[in-house]
Amino acid sequence: MITPEKPELAEIVEVKDETFDTKTFTVRYVNQKLQDKFKFVPGKFMMVSVFGVGEMPISISSSPYRASSMKFTVVNVGTVTNAMHGLGKGDKLGLRGPFGNGFPLNKFRKKDILFVSGGCGLAPLRSAIYAVEEKKSEFGKINVLFGCNAPKSFLFQDDMSSWKGKGFKVMSTVDKADDKWKGNIGVVTSLFSKLSLDTKNTVVMMCGPPVMVHFALIELRKLGFRDEQMFASMERMMQCGVGYCSHCNIGKKYTCVDGPVFNAKDLKELPVKED
Amino acid sequence: MNYTIKKEDVPKFLDFLRKEFEVIAPVKEWQEQPRFDVYTGQGLFLEARTVFSPKRFFRPAREKIFSFEKKKGSYEVKAEVDSTKRVFFGVRPCDTHALDVLDELFIRYFGEDRFYSSRRKNSIIIALQCLESCETGFCTSMGTSQAKSPDLVFFERGPDYFVQVVTSQGKKLAENSFFRVTKDAAPTASITNKIDLDTNDLGKNLYSEFTNSVWEEESERCLSCSSCTQICPTCYCYTTEDDFVFGSQTRSERHRLLDSCQLKKFTKVAGNHVFRESRASRLRQFVLHKLSYFEENHGKQLCVGCGRCIEACPVNISLVDIANKIQGEVAQK
Repeated sequence: MITPEKPELAEIVEVKDETFDTKTFTVRYVNQKLQDKFKFVPGKFMMVSVFGVGEMPISISSSPYRASSMKFTVVNVGTVTNAMHGLGKGDKLGLRGPFGNGFPLNKFRKKDILFVSGGCGLAPLRSAIYAVEEKKSEFGKINVLFGCNAPKSFLFQDDMSSWKGKGFKVMSTVDKADDKWKGNIGVVTSLFSKLSLDTKNTVVMMCGPPVMVHFALIELRKLGFRDEQMFASMERMMQCGVGYCSHCNIGKKYTCVDGPVFNAKDLKELPVKED
Repeated sequence: MNYTIKKEDVPKFLDFLRKEFEVIAPVKEWQEQPRFDVYTGQGLFLEARTVFSPKRFFRPAREKIFSFEKKKGSYEVKAEVDSTKRVFFGVRPCDTHALDVLDELFIRYFGEDRFYSSRRKNSIIIALQCLESCETGFCTSMGTSQAKSPDLVFFERGPDYFVQVVTSQGKKLAENSFFRVTKDAAPTASITNKIDLDTNDLGKNLYSEFTNSVWEEESERCLSCSSCTQICPTCYCYTTEDDFVFGSQTRSERHRLLDSCQLKKFTKVAGNHVFRESRASRLRQFVLHKLSYFEENHGKQLCVGCGRCIEACPVNISLVDIANKIQGEVAQK
């Protein structure tokens, strides 16, 4: 039975400031048995309740191999996220989930991997990058691309340097630089030409704003990627997580049940751009 | 075994039921629109299909689903499930099909939604067969002109109603002095609608014409008022909302509210991005969800042909006209 079960109590055990508007919350179920049973695939999301304020879908940004707690990286953009930012260590949240399909990492063994992320789209991908990092020998070359609008929104700097240390190719870019920024300037797709990719043997995982996913798919197709190789995590307003509320319809698919990770081949057949 | 009941005995029968159940029946009081509501002994309206369907007793416009209470730095979470025993009297065939469609989604397909299934399982449906078509209905096109899995069906027959027993639960309700046993076979009703919808490959054709200019043309006069979705007996999309209990410092509640794909906020995500920005895209979502997407997933249409959306639209947009226009264009290709 996957009916919208009641939110289970969870406690915030740590809050970390990532950027001026982003925090990472480490959360654990109050009921230890639930936490022990808790398993997830990178790319899945949880419905997080701030009691009395509302519920929202948040993807898990921690490693699936460290399931003794889970991390949510949350940007302060709306009513519920704003309320969540006001919470601290020891405060309680409600959790339902995990929901969605997640990235099919098992199918990616022996392949090179290209991660393409925009803004807080890096959060769900971080979970996948951690998972790949844990089983590094099973995968080929790992490339991580990250783009955000300004240097002040730069996420997970510690992780990025640690990934670099492990031999991952990590590149980042900003849309608008400030005086201190010495890296790349431009959208994330402008980084593709700077990579040497084995197009045939690489799978792409991406998450970011709709416009990034749209153009990244176009550019990658130009580079010779086939649709079967590309997976994107789609953003929609999931409100129930189980296919009942229909806020996340893309055509006949439900982002919360059939997604949020879609193969580019499926996306081609769906009315992703509806306006 | 089937029964008959005298027309004049029907209100008495309903009063008898009220002792044990909450009776929901079509009522019309003063100048109000006929609607399904709690029957209090007056205003029974059986002449025609009601403007408002019984949807609000299964999928209320606003429904409390959880209550939260803050206790010693923690919260107590309680699910609020409605298990009132209800008898629905005078439900038209289209509305029984609407319930079947909701059952498909909320009970059979993804797994049980307890807030819906509790209401559904505690309700007994007495259908009332239509003998002639309403102005805007197209039930024969949708195959919904006969009642679907009710407990009893009433057929108007002169001064009586012929009562067909379908389930044992229904039979129990008819085992009292208001009913007389009859050996007659159940009558058949055939309806001729004033509107027809061409349902040949309908879902497939509508979806293949996703970029057709019809959407743009028809939606030009759309007001995005969402009347069509509010009044539709199968429109179920909902949103949730948390509210504090007024006057309390510790209690809050989560509600489910009917939402509408015709509103811009329906697809709004963080960063104020709206996926269906134009009226055309939202009207298309309504029509395709009704006639294409749901059928692809569940094998049946989400539309039951009651014609309420056509009746309710203040600018005369018709789901049937749109679909037939596109069907015509596809046929000409």
